[in-house]
Amino acid sequence: MNARDFDVVVIGAGVAGAMVAYRLAKSGARVLMLEAGSRNPSRAQMVGAYAIAAAKTPHSPYVQAETDAKVPSPDSPTDYYEQPPAPHLLYKSTYERRTGGSTWHWLGHTPRLLRNDFLMRSQYDGPNLPAAMVDWPIGYDDLEPWYCEAEREMGVAGSQAEWDGLFGSQRSKPFPMSMIWPSYSDLWISDRINGEVFEDAEYRVRSTPSARNSEIYDGRPPCAGNSICVPLCPIGAKYDGSVHVAKAKAEGASLWEQCVVTKLDKDTDGSVHTVHFLTYAGVPQSVTAEVVVVAAHAIETPRLLLMSEIANSSGQVGRNLMDHLSKSTFGLAPEKLFPFRGPPSTSGIESFRDGDFRKDRAGFRISLNNDGWSRKNAPYAEIIDFVTNKQLIGAELQSAVFERVARQIRLSCSVEVAPDPNNRVELSTMKDALGLPRPKITFTPPDYSFKGLAQATKTMADMFRLVGATDLDLGTDPTAYDGAGHIMGTCRMGGDPKLSVVDAQCRAHDHKNLFLAGASVFPTVGSPNPTLTLAALALRTAEDIAIQLGVKTKPQRNA
Amino acid sequence: MSPAATIRTRSDLLKLLCEAAELEHGIACSYLYAAFSLKRDISEGGITWDEQQKIRRWAAQLYFIASQEMLHLALVWNVTTAIGGTPYYLRPNFPQNTKYYPLNVPIELEPFGLRSLRRFILYEHPQQGPPGLDVKELLRLPGDDAEDIEFGSVGELYALIESGIRNIGEKELFIGSPTQQMTSDLVHFPDLVAVKDRASALKAIEEITEQGEGRVHHRENSHFEAFVTILNDLQASGAQGSSFSPARPAMTNPSAGLQRGYGANANPIDDPLSVQVAALFDSAYSLMLRMLAWSFEFDAAGVEGQLKTFCSAAIDLMPRVVLPLGEGLMLMPAGNKYPGKTAGPGFGLTRHVMLPPHAKNARRLCSERFKELAALAAGLLQNPLPNPVRAGCLHLQEMADTFDARVKL
Repeated sequence: MNARDFDVVVIGAGVAGAMVAYRLAKSGARVLMLEAGSRNPSRAQMVGAYAIAAAKTPHSPYVQAETDAKVPSPDSPTDYYEQPPAPHLLYKSTYERRTGGSTWHWLGHTPRLLRNDFLMRSQYDGPNLPAAMVDWPIGYDDLEPWYCEAEREMGVAGSQAEWDGLFGSQRSKPFPMSMIWPSYSDLWISDRINGEVFEDAEYRVRSTPSARNSEIYDGRPPCAGNSICVPLCPIGAKYDGSVHVAKAKAEGASLWEQCVVTKLDKDTDGSVHTVHFLTYAGVPQSVTAEVVVVAAHAIETPRLLLMSEIANSSGQVGRNLMDHLSKSTFGLAPEKLFPFRGPPSTSGIESFRDGDFRKDRAGFRISLNNDGWSRKNAPYAEIIDFVTNKQLIGAELQSAVFERVARQIRLSCSVEVAPDPNNRVELSTMKDALGLPRPKITFTPPDYSFKGLAQATKTMADMFRLVGATDLDLGTDPTAYDGAGHIMGTCRMGGDPKLSVVDAQCRAHDHKNLFLAGASVFPTVGSPNPTLTLAALALRTAEDIAIQLGVKTKPQRNA
Repeated sequence: MSPAATIRTRSDLLKLLCEAAELEHGIACSYLYAAFSLKRDISEGGITWDEQQKIRRWAAQLYFIASQEMLHLALVWNVTTAIGGTPYYLRPNFPQNTKYYPLNVPIELEPFGLRSLRRFILYEHPQQGPPGLDVKELLRLPGDDAEDIEFGSVGELYALIESGIRNIGEKELFIGSPTQQMTSDLVHFPDLVAVKDRASALKAIEEITEQGEGRVHHRENSHFEAFVTILNDLQASGAQGSSFSPARPAMTNPSAGLQRGYGANANPIDDPLSVQVAALFDSAYSLMLRMLAWSFEFDAAGVEGQLKTFCSAAIDLMPRVVLPLGEGLMLMPAGNKYPGKTAGPGFGLTRHVMLPPHAKNARRLCSERFKELAALAAGLLQNPLPNPVRAGCLHLQEMADTFDARVKL
């Protein structure tokens, strides 16, 4: 075994790669993390960049990063990906090339998939279910212990009473921390809608599980309500992948940064041992390992496999690219709810995620948000309006702005996107700063999902009605959606090597020592935020790799 | 109290619960005072941008730990009412005598710094598995002898309370009405355990001790560990030669005037405007406590929704009035007697009656008091005030204006 440079090379030091690296290094394996980005600038420097940025966008803290020319900006879906021009629909989610990965600017929500999310074909078969909608090769119960483990590793705050048994999805262990306390606005809305019924489903506001400390956990401070989870937590109360990068390094794993992997070599026996990469200076290098793990999310992972011409005997690499369709709606409450405090969202509604309707249309989650109309540029928009149109200044202006801003509500939805093989990542003829092909993306959400989006919009309108909100903005274009930042699919997991890229252990069907970690393996996506599920899968895969390597695993499940 | 002592009567148990309530309450104020003193912005001077980020982490932990002490007070109140007592919210004013509690260290109001952190570590150190000489060395300040540091035994107090809960017959002991128990459904307070029997009472005590008072070996995420980490962090900054000055130069143990001293050896604030703000802080803080203590005693059977509105007004006083006034006072001068120092809130418990059992009258007294305090706030707003103080005064006015419509009790 020692003839190779490392036992395991993990490509990508985001949450999935870092967890695999940590668990295997802890088991005694010689692990290398190859990361295309860098740990710089520091958290404090990025908070500073955000503080002085004229426009506060998800990318504004990261603008000094040395990786700018090599990745998409979170602020634009077209500055890096090759996408067909308007009027074609766009894939709108982007990522951050950085040690720790895109969890640096994630919101931190960690709901699980539901039992039926793993069983879409067997539960909801019929003429209107999209053809690529399949069952996972594993079920909720297979993943449940690993969900608990991922919650412990990341530090998830949640309410066992509210979530145990949701749509038949039991929880075998309580959350490691009690829930992030609902905001005043959450409670006010709960009082007005809980128990009301909309088209056979009952509203019930639940605290959203989050990898955000509600107490001091794992040596990190509790959330202090700095309210800028997106683009980054200034104090590290929100989990990000850098936590497990540090843990992996503490267990002896190596981390090489600014190393962009360009190709994986296939040996004559079909195994993959050699990893080629470029430094930022463009110097080609390579490293060998017994096991290779690609954990470069659902765009860079298929891009690398396609560049390497491996793992694709099924022709499925790059196909079934998914996201969630997200949409915000806005209303004014009849009284002050004091948004702009605490995490941007602390509660949501799960009632519409599952049911017989999924034969015909997508399920969805609804989030109650604490950020007022900031997506509509509040409070600046109000200030400009009052100054220019009503000539208010001084205390009068202050009071008018407060009166309005304090009543702002934003609701949002996250709608399941059904897999479609035509929605895909390919290699573009356009090159990036290192001369590598950029990702070419084709993405048109299926009607199944647009029907779900329409239903979600109707539901949010009903919620606004129930709370007596006015000045509603529900949007007018039924095909308008935002990216949720949930890049999923493209290397689907399945039992049949002809129809899928990896098996139930996330091992490539074509290469016995090549594993994929991350949301690229999701065959379907349900409606929850994907990070907890991909973390659970990564931990499960790490154990399978440890068995394959013959190193002793040290599971923490009873800790 | 010897470690072997056990409690066998309700009266003794109630007395100990009062002591626990005083302790949790006093310690929460001490943590809050230190948290209020932390600088918020580099424009305050003495900190760099990176140091400000460090302060943010410390503030998050300090405010959180203070909120857990408030939870402990609430849990002690639930145990108290479950066994037939009434919530006890009084305590001696600051500074409190070293030997008044089994801490061997006074409870004081002191800005954030090496000395206050040392006290905090002593409040929270584990009862078993003594931290040893390393911690004594950490706690040693210039001119001190580490051997003089004596560890107290808050864990012992809770061990005695637990012995009472275990020794006294369950049916005989738990005579409070179950509907009298305060829960998170009624008051906007997480992790509150309803106490109805021995098991739930022990669970409440366990929650308190596990979070920081250290009856067993300390844990990574305990209050004790958090304070040790902060102290190490602060000392490391000093060792690197930084002129890092994370705290505002607040005075120690301030008092808002004669009528609020009642015997405490406090330092009267000497600036006429600051003293008025500090007096308003004390009045709002006292009103909040009276409302909460009353809510914990009130049997809400059948009127839960109404009680909720009353509790919500009391809890809102914390972030909307007490917090901004407290932080803002540390931006106001302490007065000529204290050159270079800023003021601070004294957490003075103003002398007043418990709210009456009759709900309508309790509500009426509160409504009237809100209006009186709002009038004082209006007077203060005629003066130049730091932004947080101004915000606290405006919030108080708004709460007074809406109290009658909002509180349905």
